Amino acid sequence: MSALTDPDTEGSTTVTSGAPAGGSAVVRVRGVTKSFGRAAALKGVDLDLHPGEIHALMGMNGAGKSTLVQVVCGVHQPDGGTVEMGGRQYSGLTVRRARRLGISSVPQRRELAMGLTVAENIMLGDLPARGGAVHWKAVRSQARAALSGLGIDIDVDRIAGTLTVAEQTMVEVAREVRRGGRVLVLDEPTACLSARDAGRVRDLVRTLRDEGVAVVYISHYIDEVMAVADRITVLRDGAVVRSAPAAEMDPASLVRAMVGRDVVSRRPERPAPKDEHGLVVRGLSQGRAIRDFTVEVRKGEIVAVLGPAGDAQSRLFDLLSGRQRPDTGEICVDGRPVPSGRVKASLASGLRCVTGDRRTLGLVQGMTVDENLMLAGDRFARRRLHRRSRLARRAAPVRDTYGVVALTGNPPVGSLSGGNQQKVLLGKWLETEPVACFLEDPTNGVDVAAMADIHTLVDDLAARGVAVLLASSSAEEVMRLADRVVVVSAGRTVAEHDITAITRDELVATALGGQPQ
Amino acid sequence: MSLKTPSAAPDVAAGPPERGTRTWTPGRLLHVPHGGLVLVLVLVAVFTAVQADSFTTSQNLLNVLRQISVTAVIAAGLTLLMTAGGMDFSMGGNAAVTLCVAAQLLHDGCGTLPVVIVSLLLATLIGLVNGLVVTYTRVAPFVATLASAMLLDGVALLVLDGMSVTIGDRMTGLGNDEVLGVPCLTVVALLVLAGTGLTMRFTTFGRDAFAMGGNEHVARLSGIDVNRRKLALYALAGVLAGLAGLMLLSRLGAAAPNTAGLQTQLTAVAAVVIGGTSLAGGHGTVIGTVFGVVLLGVVANALNLLQVNSNYQLVVTGGVLLVAAVVNEFQRRSAPGH
Repeated sequence: MSALTDPDTEGSTTVTSGAPAGGSAVVRVRGVTKSFGRAAALKGVDLDLHPGEIHALMGMNGAGKSTLVQVVCGVHQPDGGTVEMGGRQYSGLTVRRARRLGISSVPQRRELAMGLTVAENIMLGDLPARGGAVHWKAVRSQARAALSGLGIDIDVDRIAGTLTVAEQTMVEVAREVRRGGRVLVLDEPTACLSARDAGRVRDLVRTLRDEGVAVVYISHYIDEVMAVADRITVLRDGAVVRSAPAAEMDPASLVRAMVGRDVVSRRPERPAPKDEHGLVVRGLSQGRAIRDFTVEVRKGEIVAVLGPAGDAQSRLFDLLSGRQRPDTGEICVDGRPVPSGRVKASLASGLRCVTGDRRTLGLVQGMTVDENLMLAGDRFARRRLHRRSRLARRAAPVRDTYGVVALTGNPPVGSLSGGNQQKVLLGKWLETEPVACFLEDPTNGVDVAAMADIHTLVDDLAARGVAVLLASSSAEEVMRLADRVVVVSAGRTVAEHDITAITRDELVATALGGQPQ
Repeated sequence: MSLKTPSAAPDVAAGPPERGTRTWTPGRLLHVPHGGLVLVLVLVAVFTAVQADSFTTSQNLLNVLRQISVTAVIAAGLTLLMTAGGMDFSMGGNAAVTLCVAAQLLHDGCGTLPVVIVSLLLATLIGLVNGLVVTYTRVAPFVATLASAMLLDGVALLVLDGMSVTIGDRMTGLGNDEVLGVPCLTVVALLVLAGTGLTMRFTTFGRDAFAMGGNEHVARLSGIDVNRRKLALYALAGVLAGLAGLMLLSRLGAAAPNTAGLQTQLTAVAAVVIGGTSLAGGHGTVIGTVFGVVLLGVVANALNLLQVNSNYQLVVTGGVLLVAAVVNEFQRRSAPGH
């Protein structure tokens, strides 16, 4: 419980060591409170942002990170407290004023005009014109200058929609910096990125720091934060529990500060896998994305497919679920071949595919929690009638088992936190008597505690005798869950190991080509 | 609860039991489902009743009910279809074709029952073709059905060949009789509305529509046969359009060029949108649609009674649609729509 003995956060009296001189803060947040309805999202939070410093904000889903950042950016007006910047105190900012003061943010979901070129996106709202007509040459040259100033190498004539997610992030950062951003908020800039791309984004962040920008860096990845941040502030339940230079923190104490207890997520003993195969994939190929992919999963076994995000493992969902037809290859569930390219056939075989993209492929955001939970199960049971009370009765045990927590009875699933949504998604599929299961990044964008819960759920699934194929881009998760791991790179299988025969570092080295950290 | 009668008083709707103790403010009305809509409806009705004595006569009210019944049937089918993320602009055209074909057949001396069956089958077929085009060519429903709407309006004119076709007193029973003081047409419309409302709320078929409208990918991956559902929904829209056509024929006793068609369709679309059903799918209520239909009917009637220049009718209808759409947008943020 070392987290609770942290230094008092009364602000100006304690200018902690390591930070740039206390007076130089570009933004000072003092005692900010904010409630939504009865739920207090922020309870008297202090925050100092210094130029030339990467300030990481950590905390679980719902800890108040986003709300705090939105207060600084002027999206929300605080109920109490002040935000001081540019020598003036504001009790509430508007988005417009925050922008004028040089505060900008790059949200989690990229906000580029996907049909326009990189150059247009960077210059948007400020297109150089000559006599009322856009001066295209100047657009391109200024955009190029903005990119190269940050050491980004992207062709300005490319269409934004064709960029990778990492490149989109960089273009957004370049745009904000060009607009004069002195404080830049990055909300999980490396979520869903491959290690190489994440490294590029981190390099960019360091460049920004060296240019004197105050960077607010929100991330769930502890290793990443430890590597990149100069100062870390941990929020829990809307209050700052710890704020210190990164050098004074270690991963274990960070986790304790975030969760308030030690998260125990260790490999449990699972019953040994049975001999018969639950899921067999042979020679699966589709274009250049996935080539001759073969894997055999026994019942009760968890086999992980590890690769950089966006590599072969991210195609498996479409191919196994029947959304797309592979060029060649065969899928067998429980010894019986599954006709490819048909969702119905895939479901009928007992294969359950849980997407990593719950927003677009997993849940109907506007529908209630209960209805989402039972969406697939009720269709399998061929129910014709729908009664809310009975639905709630059927859903209650699933909610219980999967630890779905909703503040009010049965809200639309879109209003839940990421972790809860993910549990709903798992509950929806894993309670339909699966023979084999394909899980894609089951802990994508969920907080540490939810992650541990989800790992336990996956363990239980395997213990029930289900063949589990896990696609992941996280070596941690693979080490925690899998019995065997298949490493893919550039569409091909490059290695296959028993998990006991390899260390995490070796695994990372194989998978990610010797990435740092 | 899927069907409240249009006369539901606003203060009944405004006070859910658990909030009974709170003070009532106009702002709170925004949080009541369809609160703003009911308020506008009541204001229009009260204003008209004060200005024109004839508004509240039973003769006039029955007339209004007869007039809105046809739109209501089309709007009911459209509510379900739009909730599922579909759209059908051709229901009015479908009704026109059905009306003309049925009139010609009756005029030529065919039996009433066979004619009804044939017309409904024809209407279903037209809906099914719409569904096939939308499902398998992936042309946007908006475009595909707008095309078929124009096409069907033309076909209706061709069938009549510029003439008016009377059907004598056949089918007058449906068009003019009353059951317990309620016009038969309205009874049919109420049955259709109730059926649609119950389907949307209490059957898997209806919930599939919500799921498909909310996220078609998820619906497909969850084991819903999306293509078959779409075909069924468009066919259902077709058969209801055909029913509407027959109802109109029975009321008018004759088929004339440019009866029903795109204008009727647009009124139905307006009613559904006023009722809060999302154009993007995933949200929709039949009660809202009922209010929308009634509001448009009452407004049209009021303009007649107040002897407003008929050229203003479309202007006012458009204005009502705009205001209602804006109010709905404000309301959407506070409550889920089903």
